[in-house]
Amino acid sequence: MGQGTPGGLNRQGLPGDRKPDGGDKKEKKFEPAAPPARVGRKQRKQKGPEAAARLPTVTPVSKCKLRLLKLERTKDYLLMEEEFVANQERLKPQEEKAEEDRSKVDDLRGSPMSVGNLEELIDENHAIVSSSVGPEYYVGILSFVDKDQLEPGCAILMHNKVLSVVGLLQDEVDPMVSVMKVEKAPLESYADIGGLDAQIQEIKEAVELPLTHPELYEDIGIKPPKGVILYGEPGTGKTLLAKAVANSTSATFLRVVGSELIQKYLGDGPKLVRELFRVADDLSPSIVFIDEIDAVGTKRYDAHSGGEREIQRTMLELLNQLDGFDSRGDVKVILATNRIESLDPALLRPGRIDRKIEFPLPDIKTRRRIFQIHTSRMTLADDVNLEEFVMTKDEFSGADIKAICTEAGLLALRERRMKVEVTHADFKKAKDKVMFKKKEGVPEGLYM
Amino acid sequence: MAPDPNRAGTSAAAKDDAVAKKKVENEDLSDEDLALKQQLELYVERVQDPDKGLQKVALESMRQEIRTSTSSMTSVPKPLKFLRPHYGTLKAYYETMGESDLKKYLADILSVLALTMSAEGERESLKYRLLGSEGDIGSWGHEYVRNLAGEIAQEYAKRQSEEVPIDDLMELVQQIVAFHMKHNAEPEAVDLLMEVEDLDMLVEHVDKTNFKRTCLYLTSSARYLPGPDDMLVLDIAYTIYKKFGEYPNALQIALFLDNPQYVRQVFTSCDDVQRKKQFCYMLARHGITFELDEEMAADDDDREMLQDIINNSKLSEGYLTLARDIEVMEPKSPEDIYKAHLLDGRASAGASVDSARQNLAATFVNAFVNAGFGQDKLMTVQSDSSSSGSSGNWLFKNKEHGKTSAAASLGMIYLWDVDSGLAQIDKYFHSNDNHVIAGALLGVGIVNCGIKNDCDPAMALLGDYTDKEDTSIRIGAIMGLGIAYAGSQNEQLREKLTAILNDTKAPLDVSAFTAISLGLIYVGSCNEEVAQAIIFSLMDRSESELGEPLTRFLPLGLGLLYLGKQDSVEATAEVSKTFNEKIRKYCDMTLLSCAYAGTGNVLKVQNLLGHCSQHLDKGETHQGPAVLGIAMVAMAEELGLEMAIRSLEHLLQYGEQNIRRAVPLALGLLCISNPKVNVMDTLSRLSHDTDSEVAMAAVISLGLIGAGTNNARIAGMLRNLSSYYYKDTSLLFCVRIAQGLVHLGKGLLTLNPYHSDRFLLSPTALAGLITMLHACLDMKAIVLGKYHYVLYFLVLAMQPRMLLTVDESLKPLSVPVRVGQAVDVVGQAGRPKTITGFQTHSTPVLLAAGDRAELATEKYIPLSPILEGFVILKENPDYTEE
Ligand SMILES: Nc1ncnc2c1ncn2[C@@H]1O[C@H](COP(=O)(O)OP(=O)(O)O)[C@@H](O)[C@H]1O
Ligand SMILES: [Mg+2]
Repeated sequence: MGQGTPGGLNRQGLPGDRKPDGGDKKEKKFEPAAPPARVGRKQRKQKGPEAAARLPTVTPVSKCKLRLLKLERTKDYLLMEEEFVANQERLKPQEEKAEEDRSKVDDLRGSPMSVGNLEELIDENHAIVSSSVGPEYYVGILSFVDKDQLEPGCAILMHNKVLSVVGLLQDEVDPMVSVMKVEKAPLESYADIGGLDAQIQEIKEAVELPLTHPELYEDIGIKPPKGVILYGEPGTGKTLLAKAVANSTSATFLRVVGSELIQKYLGDGPKLVRELFRVADDLSPSIVFIDEIDAVGTKRYDAHSGGEREIQRTMLELLNQLDGFDSRGDVKVILATNRIESLDPALLRPGRIDRKIEFPLPDIKTRRRIFQIHTSRMTLADDVNLEEFVMTKDEFSGADIKAICTEAGLLALRERRMKVEVTHADFKKAKDKVMFKKKEGVPEGLYM
Repeated sequence: MAPDPNRAGTSAAAKDDAVAKKKVENEDLSDEDLALKQQLELYVERVQDPDKGLQKVALESMRQEIRTSTSSMTSVPKPLKFLRPHYGTLKAYYETMGESDLKKYLADILSVLALTMSAEGERESLKYRLLGSEGDIGSWGHEYVRNLAGEIAQEYAKRQSEEVPIDDLMELVQQIVAFHMKHNAEPEAVDLLMEVEDLDMLVEHVDKTNFKRTCLYLTSSARYLPGPDDMLVLDIAYTIYKKFGEYPNALQIALFLDNPQYVRQVFTSCDDVQRKKQFCYMLARHGITFELDEEMAADDDDREMLQDIINNSKLSEGYLTLARDIEVMEPKSPEDIYKAHLLDGRASAGASVDSARQNLAATFVNAFVNAGFGQDKLMTVQSDSSSSGSSGNWLFKNKEHGKTSAAASLGMIYLWDVDSGLAQIDKYFHSNDNHVIAGALLGVGIVNCGIKNDCDPAMALLGDYTDKEDTSIRIGAIMGLGIAYAGSQNEQLREKLTAILNDTKAPLDVSAFTAISLGLIYVGSCNEEVAQAIIFSLMDRSESELGEPLTRFLPLGLGLLYLGKQDSVEATAEVSKTFNEKIRKYCDMTLLSCAYAGTGNVLKVQNLLGHCSQHLDKGETHQGPAVLGIAMVAMAEELGLEMAIRSLEHLLQYGEQNIRRAVPLALGLLCISNPKVNVMDTLSRLSHDTDSEVAMAAVISLGLIGAGTNNARIAGMLRNLSSYYYKDTSLLFCVRIAQGLVHLGKGLLTLNPYHSDRFLLSPTALAGLITMLHACLDMKAIVLGKYHYVLYFLVLAMQPRMLLTVDESLKPLSVPVRVGQAVDVVGQAGRPKTITGFQTHSTPVLLAAGDRAELATEKYIPLSPILEGFVILKENPDYTEE
């Protein structure tokens, strides 16, 4: 280390030409910046205020006075920090200095800046970069760039003329993953689900409770389940339940559809899975919801095409993330599928996905609830007798019921009735239509 | 206790339920639910029936329903849910009832119903419980008992303030505690008792199966409780440990409380010599002076042997056993440590420079690396071939005061081996160079560090030199005595040394070192005479002398007297307010930080932090000790330690140079011999700081956090720094010292003053460390000046970081042990693993920071539950070979 630094060459003086301390200090002003502790490997844990804000973990997790005392101790220190920082900000003797420094840095950076890619680090002050348009250049790195964060392949800011590295773009989260984060809670809540009481309880126990009350599990001496899989006929409310979970939890909710995990380039799929779980870990506590998991999770067989193999590799990465070496303490996984029988048994092995929650077709009582839910905001005519539909022998899923209600509403709308009142006849027609449509796609015989 | 910490699960679910209910009034229930609901409604009606018989039946059945219902974690049990609407009715009816058993029955049920119904702060569950039939409290389930405990705590506080009797409450507390203790919920029992301020009750409820968990919880809580509760809690733990014959743990607490009476009790209540030997090993590790008397060990021979252990006379032997087992006896030269060949060209040029500074650095590196091994490649080689062998040569490669450190390094090399050490050092006594004699005197002190010997060789050899003409000789002798007799409270020395302090004509540096030595000898004793002497000496100093860098040792010596003694310092602190303003604040900070060192007292941290937030312009220096003080106070427990590291980061960001210079040192103290990665990175960054003194402090601290670990990453950083600073002799000197520290004792030693599962803090070790750190606050004047031998104060903290198992005749005994990262198991149910990621070795083994060992064989039983240092193994009588 230290080779090739501009100062290094002319400092090759004789061993004897040491100066007294004072003189030496002056000289140091011009010395190259400190060599980074290590080059090329990004420091994960240490980035930004986010990581610094991490507080020490407090044990025991069960609720007791000791825990309270420890948390209070942490709080006391935080209050002191706050007081101290507030004091300093008030005094702000360095504000001007900082301002000056900043404007100087801005000067050096020049504007506008262009964005490029770091190809290779040569030494701590030089690198090979490529800009989005043209060839690759050998350029210098300005001293104020945090070299600990540079790694080959990262996005950097470059001076627009001399192309030297003047900054780095910090956004290291794959944009693919960042869109998966559910920012706005969905509107569906638990109250919008008809029936499914047992399922709701199971998912609460397996997913929410471990995040909010880990001590309950500790008390008993078990590890909380890592995740659940929701399965059952289409339209029985699996996605709906997941939405309700997202609605009610304060944990980060990441949602993906299995098909999104299939990528064009080799290795991108597994990488995406890895990124996904890493982000989940960073933002923990979090819940990862993968809908239609059958897209990647089907049974392994001799794959013929590269594409199939890639899909399988994606699944293998998923397996690894579910119980690999990195412990994902505060990340819970919810999978959903219509076809659980086609999934790879390894995926469903206890220890990966411990709980399988079945979503049956609604029974009479549930149907009634679902009808109520979906008609609750419609104006029904007096003659509507929902019981008739509730009691029919036809197999309805929740989605069918919703479709009937919607259809009935549309029929009413079509006739532009006053006050848009929906009548019994509308419902009847709607039901027939929906049932017909449902059977239409499938040959009758097979469907039975 | 928070108002209602135990009910969150249920109440959250209850809220959900309520919401759901509001939305759908006419909710359909399953048939069974409907039946149950109607049934319960019927009961409610029946309860209000005038017929007593019917009432009774109804109440019975209601009780039955509630008890048998299995609740889930996420929802309220069904019977309770259905009964909720009737809570008011039942309550109203209860009021109209005449006194009878039935009324009590109803009260029981109301008490349970109140679990989910009672409004915040009403404490109805407790109210009805007290009115009820006082039946078995556990029959209503854990949740009920927990809730009740919470309400009792509130009620207790209320009644205390109103001075209402509490007998009925305490009766209930008895029941609850018994219930918790029977059901593995020791923390809850303890919490409740703490709330009602009656921990004594615990003693009658603990039994063989749960006392360990209980005590563990008590001792861990003590760290975070405000005084005087913490002492109370530890007292109870001591009583319990003693009751169950867990003497080593009891002794630990006795040492923590610094209560000689308790230590005595441990000795007198145990009559097994083997176990007493183990106690002695524990005392020896703690580094306190302790005299056994006839009551503690009746037999003369036994007593002598036990006293020998306390006196650490076998420490050297054990250490060398470890070294031989790990095969590191081979001496190492400074070049082996520098590993210059791993650097490219330019650095080797720098390393070959033969300058006094570099040789001095090599002397220290050599001393630190070969500490205690009795052999090295500079000072001891060929010592028998001729009088002017290369050892003499090396000594004389050092200039002037450098020779002092060189001669003293011999003491370090023979550390703890008094006989051979003295024999080796003897030759320098006859030198005609005062610096060499001074070094020899200091060396004698170092050899004797932590060792007590009946013939008192250190006193005999050094005693006469303290009043010599030459200041360097005087300092050598005084410092040697301070190191050799640290913590001994030796009267004779007090007289001798206070006389020097009282001598107004004594040079400042002599006074400074005398104050430190007195501070070390009387560390944590609060001795008033010594305090007086130092105070007078401080007052006598002229204003210009008060500005001298070495003056800082006077307040520090004063502070050491009160090390960890909290408010005992107050009188002295008052006096210090009258000092010259040049030293007043410095003294104030030093006293405060010493008195509260190792207590974790947050208020003091706040105070110190407050002092650091000012921006000074008059060249005041008191912020340095304040920063160090933060580390000294906060190092008591892991949590505070982590948080203090964060606070120090802020200091770095906002502080002025004098603060920034102290921050690396504070970090070094917090993570001593414990290279945490984040601190390592911070220090590595600071080691390139533009302010050279910040950089120096950071470099030294890199050495401190890696001390005795052989940590490859720090070694690598330092190597790079050595080439980076190859032209700057001062910084290079610091880098070399740090390199020596990292390889302290070839990686067998630690500087951590905490031991015994990080529970106990050795006062002498801490005193040595902070003396050295205070000296580093003015690096240029002291360490880089002519007082570099202050680095030898570190010897007070040096201890082998080993586990050495011995048999009953104290011969080393090799057994398999598992060594792994310690896990905090406080308050955990069952029998959780205490270590993780372990590896199996056979003893003797090295223990890194945060490591814990456990025996991997059933064949032996250790006499101490804390497997650190020397541990005696007893054969397990129940062991059968497979
Ligand atoms: N139990 C239910 N209660 C209320 N609505 C339901 C229920 N089950 C399904 N639905 C309706 O059907 C729609 C589709 O359900 P969805 O959860 O997407 O099915 P899938 O199980 O195939 O994921 C939902 O948007 C919802 O309106
Ligand atoms: Mg779906």
